[in-house]
Amino acid sequence: MGVLDYIWLGILSVFQGPELFSIFGLPVSVTLVMILCGFLLGIAVGATPGLAGPIAMAIALPILISVFGYTQEALLPVMGFLIGIMKGATIGGAVPAILFNTPGTPDAYMTTLDGYPMTQKGQAKKALRVAHFSSASGDTFSDIVLIVCAPFLALLVEAYLDLPEKTALLILSLSFIAAVVGGSPAKGLISTGLGLLAVYVATGEDFYPRLSLGTKQLSQGFPIATAVLGVLIIGSVFKGLEELWHEKRKSGGIAMIRDSGDQRLHFADIRRLLPFIARSAVIGTAIGALPGIGSTLAATLGYTIGKSRYQRRKAKDDPDFGTGVPEGIAATEAANSSVSGANLIPVLSLGIPGNAAAVFLILAAESIGGFNPGPSVFRFTADVVNPELVVAFGLFTAMLIANGLNWTIGGFFMRSMGIMTRIPKHILLPIVLLLTLTAIYVQETRMEAIWFALAFGVLGYLMRSLSISPLPFVIAFILGGKLEESARQAFAATGGDAFFLFTNPIALVFMLMSVGVIVFTAVKSKGAT
Amino acid sequence: MKHILKAGVVALGLALISSGVLAADWTPPGPIKMMIAFRAGGGADTQARLIAEALEAKLGWKFIPEQVTGKGGVNLLATLKDQPNDGTVIGMVVTESVGYNLAAAKAGITPANFTGIATTAGFQMGIVSLSSKGWNTFSDVVDAIKGGQEIRFGVMSPKLADLAYLLGKAQGVDFNIVPVKGGKAVMNGVNAGDLDIGFMAGIQAKGVASGDLVNLASGLSTPLKQTPDAPTLADLGVSYNSDGYFVFVGPAGMPADARQALAAAIAGVANDESSKAGGIIKKAFGGASTITGDALTTLLADGYKDASTLMDAAAE
Amino acid sequence: MSTRSRSNLYLGLFCLGFALLLLFVWIPLDTDTGWIEKVRRQVTIGDSLAPSVAGIFLLVGGIILILIERSARDQPKLTGGNLRFIGSVLLILFISFAIMRYCGPLLVSATNIFTGETLEYRLLRDTVPWKYAGYFPGGIVLISGLISLIEGRLTARSVVISAVAVVVLIAIYDLPFDDLLLPPNGDV
Repeated sequence: MGVLDYIWLGILSVFQGPELFSIFGLPVSVTLVMILCGFLLGIAVGATPGLAGPIAMAIALPILISVFGYTQEALLPVMGFLIGIMKGATIGGAVPAILFNTPGTPDAYMTTLDGYPMTQKGQAKKALRVAHFSSASGDTFSDIVLIVCAPFLALLVEAYLDLPEKTALLILSLSFIAAVVGGSPAKGLISTGLGLLAVYVATGEDFYPRLSLGTKQLSQGFPIATAVLGVLIIGSVFKGLEELWHEKRKSGGIAMIRDSGDQRLHFADIRRLLPFIARSAVIGTAIGALPGIGSTLAATLGYTIGKSRYQRRKAKDDPDFGTGVPEGIAATEAANSSVSGANLIPVLSLGIPGNAAAVFLILAAESIGGFNPGPSVFRFTADVVNPELVVAFGLFTAMLIANGLNWTIGGFFMRSMGIMTRIPKHILLPIVLLLTLTAIYVQETRMEAIWFALAFGVLGYLMRSLSISPLPFVIAFILGGKLEESARQAFAATGGDAFFLFTNPIALVFMLMSVGVIVFTAVKSKGAT
Repeated sequence: MKHILKAGVVALGLALISSGVLAADWTPPGPIKMMIAFRAGGGADTQARLIAEALEAKLGWKFIPEQVTGKGGVNLLATLKDQPNDGTVIGMVVTESVGYNLAAAKAGITPANFTGIATTAGFQMGIVSLSSKGWNTFSDVVDAIKGGQEIRFGVMSPKLADLAYLLGKAQGVDFNIVPVKGGKAVMNGVNAGDLDIGFMAGIQAKGVASGDLVNLASGLSTPLKQTPDAPTLADLGVSYNSDGYFVFVGPAGMPADARQALAAAIAGVANDESSKAGGIIKKAFGGASTITGDALTTLLADGYKDASTLMDAAAE
Repeated sequence: MSTRSRSNLYLGLFCLGFALLLLFVWIPLDTDTGWIEKVRRQVTIGDSLAPSVAGIFLLVGGIILILIERSARDQPKLTGGNLRFIGSVLLILFISFAIMRYCGPLLVSATNIFTGETLEYRLLRDTVPWKYAGYFPGGIVLISGLISLIEGRLTARSVVISAVAVVVLIAIYDLPFDDLLLPPNGDV
């Protein structure tokens, strides 16, 4: 089994998986259909204000698992569907931003700046085309970087990092995420600390379930779905409901503006946009590869850098950024779309999720079993087939297929999604809440899970109200178990060396960097006030 | 102990034939909740779900599988003991959960809180390393330590950690005993080079067959089916062993007809190598071993009693 | 800086207090082993170490808030309005789940009185229509309750919408699958 054999097996695993139906004698595998369905659902969800990719992923997961079961064959259809949602939601998010000045996802905010003015000028269709083209380009670029980099990074990690270094790397990732997400290192640390505390309840090596206060309810700990969905999704539903409660629902229909003039995207347009797209795609990919920073910052940076370049080069009477320039949309959309692929680099090579979408991919892998994202995936075994590696290449294939869909039918489908923005949020959100709680229940089948999820929802709501980002909480919850396990193992493997994190040069560097990143951002944030 | 087991296996063969009539009279009054103490997607979980699937197809009973993981099966047992005992709630654990782990947990739960239904397969517990390490048998590892090498020994339960410790003591060497979560994690650790040797309960079969892995010793009282030449723990001077089975249990006081019917049904599937469940049991454990009835009750009670002597021995 | 908010200071003090409580009271009293312990002649990490790391994260976060970020710019604070809102939401949710949990068993006992049978909800939890006896009414109360909270009044429209939504959810989660249990059917 050489490298090429594995790549080929991965591609085959997508196309030759269980057959759903056949067209003209050509079998169509279930994975392909799932990628398509996920992608279309993702666009619809992204285009609906109040919904976002992670919500759809969270709700779809238990249904998918019941359909496909807990087997190795379930991995590609389920994860293909989730990848489809992830990619669809990215381009869908631009629709309400451009048409109605309301970003469907937070990172589409920058898209409103030039997108909505274009709509007002009667160029909505063209704005959507620009958004789609830039988004698809950024996304494809990012995926290619992922596919090239992840295996090498994983091999490096596996070759050079022993248990103590792996422990130190987890600590570094947690401090890094705490420091950079949300702009306040203190609040990031608090969010991380709470996430760790939650995951450590009732886990551990002793038979007594620690921190369970002696209660039976806590003695099994918090199921991962209750914590992740509670803080991320239920918390945001509560927050969204509260905003509506304050507004008491704005009345009045949305004014429709008729399109006028040429709506097509010409080659000349593309040539003009490409430098902006390229720059933003690189920015987005670089940011995406670092866990935790996320697409909002990528969009902001892409837009800002695009703007400064545009202002330097433009002719005197060209319109400014912010008044409806296609370059503005291109710079934003290319940047935020190129985050999603690169974000899977730390997931696949280190097992460290960097954003909410990655969190749900890990959740899927963990629920189904048989695939543990991390460096051990990329073991090119010669004699026996390493099934995890085949899955990894299958995932890459799925991403490229989703890209293909994006280029071919994505644009058309996206432009027809304007209707989704009409769904009233105050009816949608309660339904989403029941949907999420039901999804949690069918996985855990006990009422306590619902109470836990609601409690985490309240926590997520309070955190949002105090502008504490919930993302470090979720990532800490996911990595916490791994951190304790690898520390225990490293400690035992080194024969009980209490300084195992500091006696080895690589581990020492990681530890110094973890302290450094906290101190640096804390001091910087003081300087900024 | 060994005699009881053998007797149990023989008795079951007879029981299967004779109880067929009785068991046919019992049908579950409602859907059966099947709690599983293992991670979703792992080998043990797959086995449990396939058994449920086969029984649904064969007998028309309805099963609802559910994960109750953690604390080496103690979480499941603590939940299971208070459930209705009419045969509508059962759980799959390993005999070690009802034995060593219950004893170590000191939560006031004993095997008397449960009705043993049937075992499905016995572990093929080996001490395994990568064959590329160049070791052929366990004494090579001991020599390596005596030559100054540090050896990391992966274990997936406290009982196995005790055994690893006693093994080191008997051989006059010290291992760095590394606790990991589950057999899959031991195998990953050994493959990645994070661990040198480790206990594996059957998951190693494929790797050993292909020559990547090697069974250095048997963790059982008997030689391994796949590597009969590997020394047993007794050969290496340890008077304890890691003999163990996957076992279905229910709450205490389950009516005899329900217990028999469930046992016959489960054992029937496990022994049927043409079924999917029987097939994977054959592949990983070299065939089913189904112990039921009084033999199982004795097995579970003994496991609990023996646990404290092992703990005392390892606590010195 | 006259309108400086003190909410970071309060949050910092709260985290500091909670972290100290966690580190010096909760963890020592509610775990079996310390940071490290000696078993089988080998020193290993105990069950207290990892939660203590969580406590240290909270402690350091609290201290940075108090010392460094006390006068940061973006400092939203919790208001009475926040608490009133979340309180009302939780009340609605609590009522809905109480209905969801107990409606089925109550209905079965009520039927038993009339028919003289001795049915048990637990054994009927996989039988139509009993298995929806809790989820359907509970779900309607949940959705229509929250819609009404936002709209400020209860309308027939919201009840109809929620009934339709619950039916759709049942169709998504229950009809196609044999072994999924809707709430509360895993508990009974």
